[in-house]
This record gives sequence, C-alpha cells and structure tokens, in this order.
Amino acid sequence: MERLTTIFQHLNAAEQSVGLREVASLPSYQRKADDIVVVSALRTPITKAKRGYFKDTYVDDMLAAVFQGVLSDTGLSASDIADVCVGNVGDPKIALTARVAQFFSGMPETVPVYHTNRQCASGLQAFMNVAGSLKTGQCDIGIAAGVESLSKNPMGASGFELNPRLKDYPKAQDSLLPMGITSENVASRFGISRRAQDEFALASQQKAAKAAASGLFDAEIVPVTTTVADAGGQLKTVTVSKDEGIRPTTMEGLAKLRAVFKEGGSTTAGNSSQLSDGAAAVVVTTRGEAAKRGLPVLGVLRSFAVIGCPPDIMGIGPAVAIPEALKKAGLKIDDIDVYEINEAFASQARYCVEKLGIPFERVNPKGGAIALGHPLGCTGARMIATLLHELKRRGKRSMGIVSMCMGTGMGAAAVFEYEGAN
Amino acid sequence: MPSFQTSGRHGYSVQFSPFFPHRLACASCQYYGIAGGGTLFVLDVAQDGLRPVQVFDFSDGLFDVTWAENNENILVAAGGDGSIQVWDVLQPKGPLKILKEHSKEVNAVNWSQTRNENLVVSSSWDNLIKVWDVSQSQSIRTHVGHSHIVYDVVWSPQLPGTFASASGDRTVRVWDIRGGDSCAVLIQAHSEEILSCDWCKYDKNQLFSGSVDGLIRGWDIRSPRLPFCELRGHEYAIRRVRANPFLGTSLATTSYDFTVRTWDTSQQRMLETIQHHTEFVYGLDFNIHVPGQIADCAWDGVIQVYQPQSCVPP
Repeated sequence: MERLTTIFQHLNAAEQSVGLREVASLPSYQRKADDIVVVSALRTPITKAKRGYFKDTYVDDMLAAVFQGVLSDTGLSASDIADVCVGNVGDPKIALTARVAQFFSGMPETVPVYHTNRQCASGLQAFMNVAGSLKTGQCDIGIAAGVESLSKNPMGASGFELNPRLKDYPKAQDSLLPMGITSENVASRFGISRRAQDEFALASQQKAAKAAASGLFDAEIVPVTTTVADAGGQLKTVTVSKDEGIRPTTMEGLAKLRAVFKEGGSTTAGNSSQLSDGAAAVVVTTRGEAAKRGLPVLGVLRSFAVIGCPPDIMGIGPAVAIPEALKKAGLKIDDIDVYEINEAFASQARYCVEKLGIPFERVNPKGGAIALGHPLGCTGARMIATLLHELKRRGKRSMGIVSMCMGTGMGAAAVFEYEGAN
Repeated sequence: MPSFQTSGRHGYSVQFSPFFPHRLACASCQYYGIAGGGTLFVLDVAQDGLRPVQVFDFSDGLFDVTWAENNENILVAAGGDGSIQVWDVLQPKGPLKILKEHSKEVNAVNWSQTRNENLVVSSSWDNLIKVWDVSQSQSIRTHVGHSHIVYDVVWSPQLPGTFASASGDRTVRVWDIRGGDSCAVLIQAHSEEILSCDWCKYDKNQLFSGSVDGLIRGWDIRSPRLPFCELRGHEYAIRRVRANPFLGTSLATTSYDFTVRTWDTSQQRMLETIQHHTEFVYGLDFNIHVPGQIADCAWDGVIQVYQPQSCVPP
C-alpha cells in the first residue's frame, strides 16, 4: 500500500501547500536583488486645514515627524540615508523646508535632500524618483516623502503672471480650470449622478470610520506632538494620533449640501476630498540592500505608469493610468486585491472604478480622501502606507495599486506586491 | 494529432527514440501502478495515429523507460519490483537482461547523454541512485545521500559524468561520477516533495525542478541558494518537467491537475495549458528530431503526440 500512500501524499501536500490555489493566478515575479522594495511606510494623522490640530504646525515639523518615524521604525542610522526626495505642491520655499526638516529629524548635513512636484501625485513621484536613483546606482537606500499644509499654503494661490498666449491653446486654457469645475465636467460628461457621488462619499466615510474604530490605521500612523492655538489665541501642546476628517455621515446629510463650484452642479463639500494637513514618508531600497541590512520587505514595486488626459476632465487620470500600469506588470484588473484610488472627487473616483470594472469592495477599503482628507503633496506617500499596511494585515501574497489624478490632466498608478508573511 | 489508447494500462512515462523521429516508447502499469503488472509499448507515429511496433508485458509495474544511445533497438525500463530491465525491440520474447539491486520500486532510468559514456542511472524508492553499464551484471556505483524516495534522475546533456536527481526529501542534487560519492551540489529546492527535474539543453548550469507544492523553479547550479525563476500555474503537484531541446527558454510540465503546461522561463510566464487528458498526466518528452513536438501519457491510458505552438521555435 506504500504506492497508494505515496500518491495520496502528492495530492494532499498540494492541497495544503502555500496558498497554491489562491495565488495560482498571479504571475511569479523573479525575485531580483535590484527589485525596488519598501521597508517602512508611515504617515502623520491627517488633520483639517485651518481648523485642525496642525493648523499652526510648520511644514518642516510635520515632515521631521515622519522622517523620525521611519528612521526609528527601521532602526537605520540617520547617516545611512543616501538621498531624500519630498513631494510637495504648495510650499513656495519647500527646498529650504525640506532641508530644515532633515536637520530637525537628526539627519546629518551629508544627507542630500530635494523636492518634486507632480501635483497630487507628488508623494508617489517622490517615491519613483528615489526608485530611479536606486536603479541607476545613485544611492542604495533613500527616503521618499510627501508633505502638505493647506493651512499654511492654501490652494488657489494667485498673483503670478500668466502668458496671454495660452488663451490661443484650448488645452492650455483648460489647464487653468478650477478642480471643482473639472469634477462637474466628469459628472456631466459621463453621467455620474449626484446620488451616485453621495453614495460613494458615504461609503468612504463609513469604511474609514469602521477602519479607525478597529484600529486599522494604527500601524501606519506616527503620533505627532505639536502646539495649537485655541480660539482665544492660547497655545497648548497636543499629541495627535487620529485622523480628523472621519465624521458621522448620512445620505440625508449629504443630500442637503449645496453644490460648491457650479450653479446646479453636483460636486459638494461632502462628496469632495477635504482640505487637510499631513505628511508621510517611505523608506525605499533594493531587495539586495534590504537583505543585507536585515530589513523586512513590506512591499515590492512591480510597475508604474503616468499618463496624460484632457485637462478639463483631469479626474479620469486613474482610468488611463491603471490599465497601463497593469499591462506593465502583466496583470489584470481582477488580480489586484486592493485599489487605493485617490478620491479627489466622488465623481471622478466613481467614474474610474466603473469604467475599469473594479469591484467596489476592493476600492479604498479603509476609506479615501473624502473621509481622510487630501494633503496634496502628501497623498501619494500616504496611500503607499495605507495600502501596504492593509495588504500586510491581510497576510497573504497579494497585489495592490496606488493611483490618483492630477490637476492639468494626468493620471499615475503604481503596482505593489505584498509577498506574504514568510 | 496522433494518439493511442491502451487497454487497461495507465501511462507513467514516455520517451522518443534518439534514432527515429517517428518512434517512441511508453512505460505503463496495470491498476494505476498500485498493483499488478506493467507494459512497455514501442509505438510509431503513423498517418492514422500511433501504431504499436512492439508490446512487452512485465510482471510488475513499469515506471520509466529510456532508449539506448548506442543501439536503436535497445531500451531500459524501471520496474516496480526494484529491477531495471534491458529490452530489445526485435526480441518479443522478453527482456535481454534483468538487473535487480534496488530493494524497492525503481522510479526513473536515464541513459547518459554525453559522448562515449553509455551509462544508465536509476533512482529508487529505496533512496538510492545506481549507475550501471548494462553490458555488465552489476551496478558500477551507488550514490547514497537522499533521505526519501528519489523520483527522477537525469544526466546532464553537457557536463560529462554528471546527473541531477529529484527527491521526496525536498532537495535536488547534482552528482559527478568522476568525483567522490557525495553529491556535488545540494539544492534545498522546495518546501514539498520534488517529483521531477531536468537540465536546460542550452545553458549547462541551468536545472529545473517540479514539486508537489505546484511550483516549477529554475536553478543555476553555481549559485543554488535562490532560484533564478519560479513558475506558478499548476493547481496540483507537478509530475514531470522537461526542457525543450529546440528552445532554451521553453519548458513543458505535466501535473496531477490533469493538464500539460508550457512555459517561457525568461519571461517567467505560462504560455499554454493543454487539457486533453482526463486523469493525472505523468509522462512527457520532447522529440529531438521534430522541433516543438511533445509526447505525453496519463492515467487515462491515452498517449498523445502533438506540437504546441508555444514550443515551436520562431
């Protein structure tokens, strides 16, 4: 009977083997020493601009908090960091801010720092910049960060001079449209009703509330101690550890809100991303370097795509970028377990999800920018942290996407793999 | 597509003749190889299918077969009784010789691929590997090391005196008969039993393994700590992995999931899934005369000869 038991063992062992059936559909990527890997990804809580706990906090203080957070998370010595790139949209002196933040966090002057601005994808672009530096051998381990204070540097800055010739170029002219108008354009052009937008917004709030109540953000948040002035101008010290934008929401409440950007429009304060302050940082290195330093791999970059779209409907960005990123990674829509798609507006987010045929339950499972807020330059890095900690919590090998639209008409998407807990 | 339906026999292994492009042999068993006898089929690819040239019956199951490289009519088969037998296609009466040294089932036999080395290697459920010159009456060497069934053993097509073995002890080992008795390279290849291995025909350092864990892995024997490739897709244990002699990046595998699959090892992609069997697929071989042609056999008793598009060189 030995022959029979031997063959039964072949069958039984296969049944029990490492999630054989679950992962069978995913491609096997070669594990290369120069794979770009994330070894730490953390963020501050996201607070309400002008009203929240970070309203009086300097941008460099928020940034220093996440620098320190990832350094202490990895146990790396500050002098080991070979380069730092900071994504930011609104701070006019970000080059200085970033350098100051570095010194606040204890990184010596030998560590270089710079910034990048790809609008709402700045945090993700910072990550790709460091990834590129790793690939070309400029550095072996770096920090990619994102930071934004819409309290200190509000959107819609004016006072700059525009080339009058741009009115002769419709696409250039369209690039000046306020974001809310591009949202109205997406809603009307693709028939995303007010109700559909409000439903999407409600779901974002509900998912975020549930995730926060279950402590699902704890792994990605670095508590920040700062000072804030109360209504009387009195300064007090607070330690912030929770996102401020999550609030009890109902369909009735959402339905009552007026359209903000256009008479008779459908984009409201309730179904748009919130104006926020926050920072996030990611330690990026190669698989070989991570192994050498004994750092656990949180996620592996599998592909990235950034691609333009019409500026007057900039919100469709993820719908053009995600298919491109999937193609580069050799994946299908169904292969992705978690989609982090930035909710600039419920109109564009819902459009992208429906257009691509993504199952709704895989989109922003812990809520998105409608509930959490959207500190522009921070968002890309914040989403990497949110995604990878969620994939890790789920435990099995799986793929995730970080994607967002950008003002002036672009979409970016990055595919990450969580390789499982082994 | 030529095929052949045995009556009451379950296919374990097929091999194309190194001399005739149209000839192949199939080792098979009665009662799924659990009990009963075995049959060795010699078949020719004809216009109307596969035509039996010779059919040899044996008292125990036959698990593997290999053609001699120095005589177009000689075959060696692996027996469930621990023997290896030498058969002559022109001698219908029975085996020319029975060599019995293994104490348990012989799972694999392989005739050496390198010039002037007409040696046969056999591997067995007794954890041993033996090297034979079939003109002699005893084995030349016995290799001890594996701690579980040795399921597959294959000579390197390029490195003289070198063969690889795949075992239930979850290792793949490379042995050099010119060296000492211990193995030259030990690869901790999988987390489950390993049922098959094969050499790349183009890169002398590349070796592939197929395991009960459903994975195929590629190894460089100079740095065997990590695989250079990993192929996923089979839903059950992989029974046999064979490298394409016409395409250095092409593999074909058979599995308990009833399928044959073809792979591109450089892109690490599955290319085709072939579902023409209704039972475990066990045997597989590439024809060295016809680019991309494959023969396979399964427990459903069917032997198929076909040419998957993905295995034909461009």
